[in-house]
Amino acid sequence: MSLVPAMPRKVPGKNSVFWKLACLLVVFCLLMIWLSWSWGRYMDKRTGFLSEQAHGTLVRYAGEAERAWESAQQAGVDQWLQGMGHREPGWVGVIGQDLQSLSSYPLSDRESERLTFLRGLDWPISHIKTARPWIKVPFPRDPSAGSLVIELPQRFMPGRSQVIWRIVTNGVIPGLLTLLLCVGLYRVLIVPLNHLREQANAWRADQLGARLSSQITSRQDELGELARAFDQMSERLQSTVSQQQQLLRDLSHELRTPLSRLRVACDSEQGGEALRERLGREVDGMQRLVEDTLQLAWLDAERGPLPVEDIQVQALWEMLTENARFESGWPQSRLPCLVDEHCWVRGHLNSLAQAMENILRNAIRHSPPEGIVSLDGRREGNMWHLWLDDQGAGVAPEELERIFAPFTRLDGSRPGDGGFGLGLSIARNALRLQGGSLWAENHGGGLRVHVRLLAGHAA
Amino acid sequence: MNPVAVSPSRLLTIEDDPVLGAYLHEQLGRCGFDVIWCQNGLEGLARARQEHFDVVLMDILLPGMNGLQVLTQLRQTHALPVILMSALGAEADRISGFQLGADDYLPKPFSMAELRVRIQAILRRVALDRMPGAPTVQELPPAESGLLFDDEACDVRRGEQWAGLTRSEFRLLDTLQRNADEVLSKAFLYQQVLQRGYAAHDRSLDMHISQIRRKLKTIGYYQHEVRTVWGKGYVLSASDAP
Repeated sequence: MSLVPAMPRKVPGKNSVFWKLACLLVVFCLLMIWLSWSWGRYMDKRTGFLSEQAHGTLVRYAGEAERAWESAQQAGVDQWLQGMGHREPGWVGVIGQDLQSLSSYPLSDRESERLTFLRGLDWPISHIKTARPWIKVPFPRDPSAGSLVIELPQRFMPGRSQVIWRIVTNGVIPGLLTLLLCVGLYRVLIVPLNHLREQANAWRADQLGARLSSQITSRQDELGELARAFDQMSERLQSTVSQQQQLLRDLSHELRTPLSRLRVACDSEQGGEALRERLGREVDGMQRLVEDTLQLAWLDAERGPLPVEDIQVQALWEMLTENARFESGWPQSRLPCLVDEHCWVRGHLNSLAQAMENILRNAIRHSPPEGIVSLDGRREGNMWHLWLDDQGAGVAPEELERIFAPFTRLDGSRPGDGGFGLGLSIARNALRLQGGSLWAENHGGGLRVHVRLLAGHAA
Repeated sequence: MNPVAVSPSRLLTIEDDPVLGAYLHEQLGRCGFDVIWCQNGLEGLARARQEHFDVVLMDILLPGMNGLQVLTQLRQTHALPVILMSALGAEADRISGFQLGADDYLPKPFSMAELRVRIQAILRRVALDRMPGAPTVQELPPAESGLLFDDEACDVRRGEQWAGLTRSEFRLLDTLQRNADEVLSKAFLYQQVLQRGYAAHDRSLDMHISQIRRKLKTIGYYQHEVRTVWGKGYVLSASDAP
């Protein structure tokens, strides 16, 4: 049926869940890379500078050295450096603008060399090198007079908190974000599947009326398609089951009538010959009922198209009216065929003949005495539109569709004993299977049954 | 009905239902057939292979071996005609029966008269097949009837007017013409002309008849006409009003 969506496509469609997933994952990956890179840099900066306390202490030392220089020049500096030797274990020196020591201690070559790459107070401190850097702190009041150079004390080395930050930026936060992504994916992919599972479980519990929520079926992606297919499947399942149940109920109801007549005949005092005749009649009726029902069930179950051939409508009509004349005693003149010999249709002969025969029988049964049943039609593109008119009382407008349901018998309004009400139902199914259609309308002077079939070619 | 067979035809019925089996045995015996009755598929297959039978009559649902399996096995070695009968009236079973090589398929319940017609149709076809060359007796001399049968062209003509029959229609008219004035059953015509079994909803034969009538009328041939004998079959006979 046309309900099935197009089969596997090579490129996912616009609304495919593929794009959703792809976008989600690409954005997530880029975000992660950017986050870890920029945070890492930020944290390096934050933790790579001297703390306030270190800053203050070093400036204070420089102030002390400046005061010592101003009070007693070289001697003052020597004395101050001696005191510093107790306070700070690392190298400490005081130098002038020319990078020469202001104290009496001469600089060794190595020390002179190191003095050429001193670091300022506000410079970032690399945490990769383990050697402590030498910091140059100019005198606070007169920076041109000289500077204090000090090997950064161990306690002021930055980077102890760096390991913790590293774990946070490169481990904990990406982990948490990935967890969030998983929750998102679960909501996108698994939650709809859980709904489908619930629906399947509902079917298992025989609740065929259960349907998915519109939230899932209105989705545009593959999961929405799956959900809609699921809903259509349950729709079809439910209608099939209810049709079958209805058919079974109707069939057993119909069988009751001949069976109860047989029961009456059995209990009555009828003679052998009359009883036998009655028996034969009832058995024939029941057999016809069973055959028609089987036929209907078969047509209903048959999904594939029937093998078709080209059929001349005039010849078909002559064949059908010959039978009908025998059954009803009507002359040929009351069963005219108004289409010419160029009218050929494509159909499955047996089921088309049966369908037309059922329509014709129905028309004859509901015709008044001396009524006429005629076949006419016209070509419409690549189809033939045929119609069969009777001169009966017609059908109430609201019943026009119901006459095609199995076991429908309209009482009262139309004369005639009626069959089992299966004929038109079989006809409609048979025509549907060969790509045609069947419907009815009132045409002023009776019922008009329309048939549309593919046009054929003359053999 | 069967002028060829002198000795009674031998039938093998394979039917497990004791009531129906006994009834078939008795009724067919009364019709002049020599009937052997088996209740089991395997036993039936063995007998069909060992002895000579003219027709096998077989149910599909059987103990021992399913009727369709028996048919498959039997077809590997024997060509004798088989009629399947089953309560499985579904179209699918009928089709698979024919695909496996059944000659006819009779849905249950059926009447004895119907079964007899089917058996006779098959026996008659087999007898015709065995005949050395078709009888060339022209029942309708061309000059008198005005209708000429052309085997080469598979068509008939009246004077210079060709009727334009299809192959099946020609075979059908030819068969009717060879047995003019004799009512031929639909079952026999299906066997002989369309080479398949007859089913209640099968309208191919009726359609061919309808076309033959139309085509004969078109070429203005009215001396004989194909008539329908209700409940029996078709016959080609002289028209009442020429």
